[in-house]
Amino acid sequence: MKPFYLFLGLMLALFACAAPDARSQNASHKKDTASKATNPDEEYVFKLIPFIDKSIMEPPYGLDRLKALIAKMESESTDKFIVATQLDAKVYDSLSFNEKFTYHMIHPESYSQNCSILPTRTDEANRIYGQLPHIFGEFSWSSRQYNFFKDNRDSVQQLIKSVIEKNRAVGENFKKAIVIMNSQELIPLLIGIYNKEKKDHYILTALMLLMKENNYPEFMKSAFYRTLYDLKTGRYSAHLTYNNTNEALIIQQATNFYNGLQAK
Amino acid sequence: MGYRRNKEALALVLLLGAVTAMAQDHKKFVVVPKGIYEVGKSTSTQNPLRKVTVDSFRIAIYETTNREFAAFVAATGYITDAEKQHNALVFEPGLDEFRWKNDSTAYWRYPNGVSRGGINDRMNHPVTCISYRDVQAYCTWAGVRLPTLDEWEIACRAGTHTNYFFGNDDRSIKTYANVWHGHDHKKADYSDGYMYTSPVGHFKPNAWGLYDMYGNVFEFCTGKLTPSERPSIAHARGGSWWCSSSACHAFNSYSIGQVHVHASFSNQGFRVVEK
Repeated sequence: MKPFYLFLGLMLALFACAAPDARSQNASHKKDTASKATNPDEEYVFKLIPFIDKSIMEPPYGLDRLKALIAKMESESTDKFIVATQLDAKVYDSLSFNEKFTYHMIHPESYSQNCSILPTRTDEANRIYGQLPHIFGEFSWSSRQYNFFKDNRDSVQQLIKSVIEKNRAVGENFKKAIVIMNSQELIPLLIGIYNKEKKDHYILTALMLLMKENNYPEFMKSAFYRTLYDLKTGRYSAHLTYNNTNEALIIQQATNFYNGLQAK
Repeated sequence: MGYRRNKEALALVLLLGAVTAMAQDHKKFVVVPKGIYEVGKSTSTQNPLRKVTVDSFRIAIYETTNREFAAFVAATGYITDAEKQHNALVFEPGLDEFRWKNDSTAYWRYPNGVSRGGINDRMNHPVTCISYRDVQAYCTWAGVRLPTLDEWEIACRAGTHTNYFFGNDDRSIKTYANVWHGHDHKKADYSDGYMYTSPVGHFKPNAWGLYDMYGNVFEFCTGKLTPSERPSIAHARGGSWWCSSSACHAFNSYSIGQVHVHASFSNQGFRVVEK
């Protein structure tokens, strides 16, 4: 009996010592009068807002029909938010190839991860970033959409070329598809569009990403590569200063890269 | 006599269990007193440097585990977004930066899809592949809540004003967090012992005894960055096992990510605050 009650007492004493310490494990702080933290979630008035970024370029092939299909699909959702949706197989299969292209370019079917919007972009007029911006907000292209671009590279490239030539601009979704497909063949077109106004510095980004992806030696040995992509010094948020020298050098390297490909 | 001894033994076992459970329960939370705290970063447009006033709150030392989420599902029969929509996003080495794969088999019991294994031997890892809406359901059941964006940062900073709670040099991150150390995600990275999640509390805590504030899983918070923000957006903080210095570099005290409220990723989790 005695050992039992001794043990019981010991356990209670142990708990008495341990628990208060844990209970009062206060963080150091600046004490002051405090008001209650509010939860903005509770105050928000819900409404649907389109997510599409204005820098997205819309291909013309079946555009109205596809916008109507997408709107119908989204309106049929029982959720109060716009959720990731994809055309069902029957409707999708009924689309022509060109329409499928339009659908993929304007409608991301999946979600993007929490940090896809990071790092934030600032002062883009005076910078040449090493990576393209994230364009679809909380949405992203799905696996089947990536596969569509890669599996139909030549045909998609033709359509991309045609739309870019017509618009005389390269939407962010087009740049992203070009990089995904490793479309080195489009380098002269990209340079030609860039030289028109020399304002869309993300075209220079796309050129550098193509050179990086193909391990082009002249670029891989350059200061640009070290600044933007090198294991030790490069960061996803890294950028070059925009100036005529950097601009000319990127275009020259990309031209050399393309010419080298043609010579092979 | 024998009967009495058995009774005593049983009482002892019950007492031991109760004492242990109570002690553990109390040790799972840290009290952050009410006060004025500095949050944000001077150069950040997303999260500018400012002072905020908060009430006292008790925040979990660990991220919520698979074991805890399993108890919720067992008690309620809850079906997650990933199970309903079959649209969870998983990772495997070889993908381009920021690219995830759709896997219709993935949900919290198989956070990277059935082919990449389940959680049976990882019940003490943070639960993942759950959406913000799933987390809200858990919190309602458990009688807890998520930290606000400010509360999370106050707890993470533990009184510091630097980019990381251990200073401004991120080279110490290996000691404190399960993050990705590869230059890109083309090859698996086990350099800190784990490619995906690690057990909660495996790495060193911050000065207030909170574990995994950086890395392991992104932790959902409540709150909006702007009043006009889309209602479909939830925010999570702290970086994850996927995050690397050369990609998002989100394992810090100031960055705030955004993800759809119904999206289920295998690097997305949470920690709770007592109500």
